[in-house]
Amino acid sequence: MTGNPISPRPDGANARQVLQLERICLDFAAKRVLHGVDLKVAEGEVVVLIGASGSGKTSLLRCINLLNSPTSGRIVIDGETIFDRQAGGGREIAKQEVNRIRAKTGMVFQQFNLFPHMTALQNVMEGPVTVKKQPAGAARDKAMQLLKAMGLEQHGDKLPRQLSGGQQQRVAIARAMAMQPKVMLFDEPTSALDPELVGEVMKAMVELAKSGMTMVIVTHELGFAFEIADRIVFLDQGLIAEEGPPHKILLHPTHERLKSFVGRFHESADMLRPFLEAMHADQA
Amino acid sequence: MFDFTVLTNNWPLLWDGLLMTLYFTVITILAGLAIGLIVGLIQLSTFRPLVLVGQLYVEFFRNIPLLVTLLWVYYAFPIFAGINVTKFWAGFIGLSCYVGSFYAEILRAGVQSIDQGQTDAATAIGMSYSQRMRRIILPQAFRRMIPPLAGQSIIQMKNTTLLSMITVPDLLYQASYISSFTYRPMEVYTAVGAIFLIILVPLTYLARKLEKSGMMSK
Ligand SMILES: Nc1ncnc2c1ncn2[C@@H]1O[C@H](COP(=O)(O)OP(=O)(O)OP(=O)(O)O)[C@@H](O)[C@H]1O
Ligand SMILES: [Mg+2]
Repeated sequence: MTGNPISPRPDGANARQVLQLERICLDFAAKRVLHGVDLKVAEGEVVVLIGASGSGKTSLLRCINLLNSPTSGRIVIDGETIFDRQAGGGREIAKQEVNRIRAKTGMVFQQFNLFPHMTALQNVMEGPVTVKKQPAGAARDKAMQLLKAMGLEQHGDKLPRQLSGGQQQRVAIARAMAMQPKVMLFDEPTSALDPELVGEVMKAMVELAKSGMTMVIVTHELGFAFEIADRIVFLDQGLIAEEGPPHKILLHPTHERLKSFVGRFHESADMLRPFLEAMHADQA
Repeated sequence: MFDFTVLTNNWPLLWDGLLMTLYFTVITILAGLAIGLIVGLIQLSTFRPLVLVGQLYVEFFRNIPLLVTLLWVYYAFPIFAGINVTKFWAGFIGLSCYVGSFYAEILRAGVQSIDQGQTDAATAIGMSYSQRMRRIILPQAFRRMIPPLAGQSIIQMKNTTLLSMITVPDLLYQASYISSFTYRPMEVYTAVGAIFLIILVPLTYLARKLEKSGMMSK
């Protein structure tokens, strides 16, 4: 694996795996949505999931923290097996355990999903106080710190409806970070935002990546993917069709459907191509 | 034409009836809320047999006319069970179970009206089912439930008049009694109607205001 300029992480094959998905299958009613996905994410790595609408990106992301319970497969987070179900066997993990281990992942949703009856600060404190039973004072200090890192130190006492979409999404990131997750999951974090607010959320995410956070991001913003990803994974009809470093996936795709998928990006990126190539020259 | 001395002369009887009506309104609403909370949560559980029991309860009491329920609990149930049921207990049980089924539906609908994203977000930070319910879902659902709860409670006060059919001396029963020996039904029943209007119109108005402010806070 090779380094993206903005995401520092231990290189090489001996990097610690934070997340391992093995042969994840998922069915909705009679419909198979994921057909055996294998994915490993190393500590500090930023993986971007791309793919057409309905290809299973959201479904896969929700499997990682068991918001969707896979039909079969194995999930290991931070060395702990949190899910293991094989066709006709395997073992289920007790519910209480699931809730504990689930907090090792943080999730950011397309629609923010802040708790509307709580202030920004209370949103961020909720997990540490209610789930981790931290004393309110300490949790408050930590929450303030997180809000500050998101540039929201003045907005702690506001209710979500008093904040812009971009601010709400940054509160949501702080809320997820408050549980000190091992890996952060983002499902199209900017696609519900007005165009002028997209940048501030992307910037916050880039900062997070720089700080060494392990991240799995679903996004349709290929330019952003190019910038932030260590690795891009192209999902097609519930399977990983192609994966690799950004310059390979976005500039030199081989899979037919990936080619047409990134076609639009190419057109706009052609102008920038020399710069983009140069930017990742060391990886080629 | 109107002879209001019937009312002033028999005021203590009407007053006792009114107190009985208010008493039953309050205690059956409280018991109904407890029933509604339990049955509502049962309906929201993920255990199929339990959900079915909750649904059965709700459909049962919502679809049998309240008067039939009251008469059944007072006259039929004691024969089945071989125990003595006083008219007060019969009235209390019938009215509470009845309104409880409506409250349960209000709770279920209120909880289910909360966006799935709220459950997802709460689950994602590691909250258990009861933590989610207590901290995230119910506080939001209760706000939405206040208007329908208020509406159902106002209906409940009117429904207590059915108690007169099992001879509980509520306002209506007392009125019938007074008119039976004074032969002045016009004054007496007009007074009963007026008393309900005086109590319920302001409450209805209040409920509507609550509804408005509830919508504002979204
Ligand atoms: N709760 C559900 N019940 C039934 N089918 C579902 C459910 N959620 C997703 N699906 C189906 O699973 C498939 C994959 O959906 P998913 O949401 O994972 O796609 P996606 O890649 O995230 O798409 P998008 O880019 O539109 O968000 C789709 O065909 C969708 O219809
Ligand atoms: Mg999606």
